[in-house]
Order: sequence, then C-alpha cells, then structure tokens
Amino acid sequence: MDPVLLAQATLNGLMLGGVYSLMAVGLSLIFGVMRIINFAHGELMIWGMYLAYWLFTLGGLDPLLSLPLTTAAIFGLGYAIQRFLVNRILEVPEEMQVLLLLGVALILTNGALILFGPDSRRAPTAYALSTVWLGPVVLDVPRLLAFALAMALTGGLYLFLRGTDLGRTLRAAADNRVGALLTGTDVERVYAVAFGIGAACAAAAGALTISFLPFAPSGGLPLTLTSFIVVILGGMGSLPGAALGGLIVGVTESFGAVLLVPSFKQVVPFAIVIGILLLRPRGLFGGRG
Amino acid sequence: MRTAGITRRGFLRGAAGASGAAAFPAVLRGQVPEVKVGAVHPVSGLLARVGQACRSGAQMAADEVNAAGGIRSLGGARLSLLTGDSETKAEVAQVEAERLIREGAVILTGAFDSGHTMAMAKVAEERRIPFLIDIAAADQITRQGYRHVFRNFPTSGVFGVKAIQFMTDLFAETGVTPRRAVLMHVSDLFGQTQARSLLTAHQALKPPFAIVETLAYPVTTQDLSTEVAKAKAAKPDLLLPITRPRDAVLLVQELFKQRVEVHAIIGPGSPGLYEPEFVQQLGKLSEFTMDNVPWHNPRNPKTGAVTAAFEKRYGKTFDTNSGYAYEAILIVADALERARSTKPEALLEALRGTNITDHIMVGGPVRFNEQGDNANASTALVQILGGRARVVKPAAFAEARATFPVPRLWERG
Repeated sequence: MDPVLLAQATLNGLMLGGVYSLMAVGLSLIFGVMRIINFAHGELMIWGMYLAYWLFTLGGLDPLLSLPLTTAAIFGLGYAIQRFLVNRILEVPEEMQVLLLLGVALILTNGALILFGPDSRRAPTAYALSTVWLGPVVLDVPRLLAFALAMALTGGLYLFLRGTDLGRTLRAAADNRVGALLTGTDVERVYAVAFGIGAACAAAAGALTISFLPFAPSGGLPLTLTSFIVVILGGMGSLPGAALGGLIVGVTESFGAVLLVPSFKQVVPFAIVIGILLLRPRGLFGGRG
Repeated sequence: MRTAGITRRGFLRGAAGASGAAAFPAVLRGQVPEVKVGAVHPVSGLLARVGQACRSGAQMAADEVNAAGGIRSLGGARLSLLTGDSETKAEVAQVEAERLIREGAVILTGAFDSGHTMAMAKVAEERRIPFLIDIAAADQITRQGYRHVFRNFPTSGVFGVKAIQFMTDLFAETGVTPRRAVLMHVSDLFGQTQARSLLTAHQALKPPFAIVETLAYPVTTQDLSTEVAKAKAAKPDLLLPITRPRDAVLLVQELFKQRVEVHAIIGPGSPGLYEPEFVQQLGKLSEFTMDNVPWHNPRNPKTGAVTAAFEKRYGKTFDTNSGYAYEAILIVADALERARSTKPEALLEALRGTNITDHIMVGGPVRFNEQGDNANASTALVQILGGRARVVKPAAFAEARATFPVPRLWERG
C-alpha cells in the first residue's frame, strides 16, 4: 500500500472529520439537554448550506465570512422549532417525537425542493481549487479552512458551555431537569436555546463545505445518518465523544474508500456502528443510558 | 308561464347543434392529420442538461419535417412530438413510455440512459409499439430477442474497439506512446458496460499500453478526491474516464488539484467530456480533452446549416446528444413515409427496410440488422480545441489535427 496514498487518505479524512465533528456536536447537545433525537438535523444543515450559497451568489459574501449570519439565522429557526413544536412533545412517548421531527425534516426538504429546485449546487469561491503541498501530499485549501473553522467553533462551544452562565444553565438543565426547575430556571427557554445552538452547529458545518461539496435538497438524510453514526460512536450526550467520533468516522470512511472499492466507503462507518452497538452500546464516552 | 333562461325547446335545439358539430370535428377544426411520436428523455434530475439537449434536437427535427410538408404519404400529416420526462429514473421512464402510448404515440424514441432505455424497451415490446432508440450504448438492450426495438447508435462493443483503434493510431502518428493507463468509470449500467467493452477490446487488439488500474465510482458521488488519489498512486501517463456530466467536472478539477501528470485525458466513450457546460465550468482546464463519441460529420455540407440553426434557436452548441435525437426523428419520418400507415406492423416493416445514405452523423448508411442495431453507426475522436469539440479522427471526417501530448492542467496560465 502506497504510503503517500495512506497519508493522503488520513489527512483528507481528518479534514472532513472536523466538519462531521461540528455537525455531531450539535446533535449530541440537543440530546444531552432534552433527550430529543433530532431527526431533522441533516435538513437543518442543508438549509444552512442554501443560506450561505445565496449569500455568496447574490451578495458576493464568501461562505466563511457569512458564517455569523448563517448560524444566527438557523439558530433562530432551531429556536422556533423547539419553542413552538418540540416543546409540546417533551413528555410524550418517543414515537411521537420521532414523528414530529421527521415531519419537520420532510417540510424542510420539500420546502427547499420547491424553492430552490432539485439541481445540486456548489459555491465556486476563488480559492475552491487552491492547494497546499506537504511534500508529496496535497491538502485542499477549502477543506483545510473548513477543518480549522469547524474545530475552532467546536472549541468555542466547549468554552461557552464551561465558562458562561448560560452555558452552565444548559448543562444544569441537562443533568437534572427537576432540580433546574426548582431553582427557578426558565427551562423552556433553555431548551429552545439548546436546540437553536444544535441547529446552528449543523448549519455552520454545512456552510463550511459549500465550496467543495455539491449539495441538493435530497442530501439531508445522508447527513442525518452520518451524524447519528458519529454520536452513537462517541456516546449520546457527550460533546467530546461527538468531536472525537467525527474525526474517527472521517478517517475510517476515507480509509474505506482507499482500501476497499471507493463506492463502498460508507460500509466502514456503518460497520463500526454495528460493532459499537454490540460491544459497547454507550459509545466511547457515553455515560447515561 | 314564461320561464326566464333556456326553454326546453331551445335546449334541445342547442344540444342537437352541439352534438352535430362534435360528431364532425373536421368541420370545426379543419383537416390536418397528425402522427404522434413519443420522445422520452431525462430533462430533470442528474442528467437534466443532456436530456434537454436531446429534447431540443428532437423538437427541431419534428419542426423541420413539418415545415417541409409533413409526411406526404399520409396526406401531409404533421408530426406531433409527445415528450416525456424520465427524471433520470428508470421507473419513471417506464411510466412515461406507457403514458405516451396511451396518449396515442405510434412510435417511441429515447431515452439517452441505457438503464432507462432497457425499461422502455420492455414496455414497447409488450405493447407492440415500435421503439427507435436514439441514444443508448449497452449491448444487452438489443440482445433480448425483441422485435420492436431498433437502435441508431453504436453499441458498447463498437465504442471499445474504436477507442483502442483511434488511440493506437494517435500514438503511432505522434510518436508518443503512453505505457500505463488508468480507467475510471461511473458504476451505472452504461458505465459498467462501456468499461467492460474497453477492457475486452484492449485484450483483443493488444495496443502498446497497459491498463494498470480500473476504478469505479457511483454516479451520485459528491467527491472524487480519494478515487483520483488512488489513480495517481498507480502512476499513470494516460487517463481514460467514462463519466456523466457532473462527475466529469469533479474529476478534471481533482486531476488539476492533485497534479496528476498524464499525456492526455481520453474518454473511451461517454458524455460529460464535450458538452458546453463542461467547457464553461472548467474553462482552460477543459481544453485538449478527448472523447471517442458518435458525432455529427463536419464534412457534410448539411451539418453546418443544422448546427447553426440549432445554436440560433437554443443558444447551445449542437453535439452528439442533440444530434442523435434529431436524427432519430428524421428516421421516424422516413419510415412513416415508406410505411404509408401508422399501424405497428407496417412501421416495423418500414424500419427494417431503412437505408438512409445522406445523414449528418459520422458513419455509414443507416440500416438495421436482425437485432435492430445500426451496424454502421460509428464514433469519432473529438478534442476540445478553442472551447469547442472538433473531430480529429478518423481522417475521413476530421476537421482539425489532434494535439497530443497535451499541456499539463496546471500549466495553462
């Protein structure tokens, strides 16, 4: 096996893995705080991509620069979804939660289809074809930037949760809902913020990729599935788990493409999920059941 | 008692008049017989651009036939093109074929994609409606013993043989012979059949280069960086891609980014490497790409007029897709003319007797063998020169000299 090829595969996988991490951290946060599995996660990511795309195409704003706008907008969408929809079903059986969020996913997907059409899009930024060479190994500049920003945002989120009052409140509500209620926390608002942040993470992850990965309304489901794989691997509710899980899934997917037939690359992450569920169901860092 | 509005007598009179008129529509509309011809193409979905080019070609041909007086043997009947959209899905192609037959199509054309065409062929055979394939390469389609299916397009087998022949000639002429070729192909029915036929032809004809690696990838792929990295690791000096339009662009971009050093990119025969969108999206990177595809004959004086008319009407370059869809309708018109009827058996008989020598595509006269294939349909080697695909081989049809080897992708300024 060619060492350059292996090094290339590792680096490519790592870079994409950073984006997977950010995406999954959002999903894990939502689950950790309110025990909701966000089946519309991939669709929120796609909407983040479309927003960044239109800001680029119509406003000339680079997707990396328009990130604050994109994340703020999808944060708002997530907040609204939680506040007006998900809030009503917090106490009901899980099947209802699944149905509601699947319904939201369908609306988002088909809304995008009606508004933007089925064609796949990409944002041809000026640096879309730029590369950086480390000896014989080539690094894609857009991927590198996406990785750097994704890791920075994940780190930022971690600091926010540790260091700020709101962050601590979120963690408190996640740990002990009744206790948080008793101490006067506006739990509903906290939940809405958590969902908003989760959605914003997904949107940010998406916006980072639009200069090198084509996207279309139908792309939501595969992204949701990948987020699930990462979160199952890392442990539901664990943010470090999601971050590490994303990198692992990125690298193993890349290895799968190199060692097996490239069309089979998804087999490896799914095989890992099966392995995890059989051997260590709580994931790498998962604590609670 | 006087009632306002329609009286009973008035109603009866009106009804008699209306039903009389309805029973004799000719009196109302004027006598212009119509022959309905079905055309199914992927005008939405993954292959949308190509499908739209096909539909435009077919429509232009139908309008041309009508402008010249329609089908004279059927009293100047106009061709009415009933179009269907397969949405780039075989199941939808099948449903559309059935719908067009229900709406009165006496013959079907289509469908560009081999998988869709396979599905339509089954429908045509079951409903006993003739089906003239305008574009589809997979050999299996006409090897199923169907009586109603005809194909005016080279089969995969032909593509493979001609690709090897053209490349061998090119290398001999220029004195530059690559030794290690990498074959990359989409993994749908078309891609697999084309790849297989290239490998078979390679084994049979033994050209001076080896195919050191074959890499397949899904049509829906978003990202070819790993595949190209693998190709690069095989140290190729020649790249043979079998693509669809979207992945062709992704592929060349990756080859550029990863600096894969090859003498040329030569497609053994696929869409994606010559369309106006390919040139537009890649700019300088698209220049010098070669593809072994059926093409319109630049030496035929009629071709210039047809390409100009197409470009004027649709604002897009005329290529093999619009060309073969165009030609299919002309063949249908010719068959209708000789059949003097729209009945399936008469049409089948007429199609079997087709012998068109004056047509604008590369290759010999249009004639169908027992399997329904036009054995004279052939390919040409085209190269993007100055932003347009030009025929560089065979010499009998060439309009330019091939540039080989080609400048490196990353040294094109």
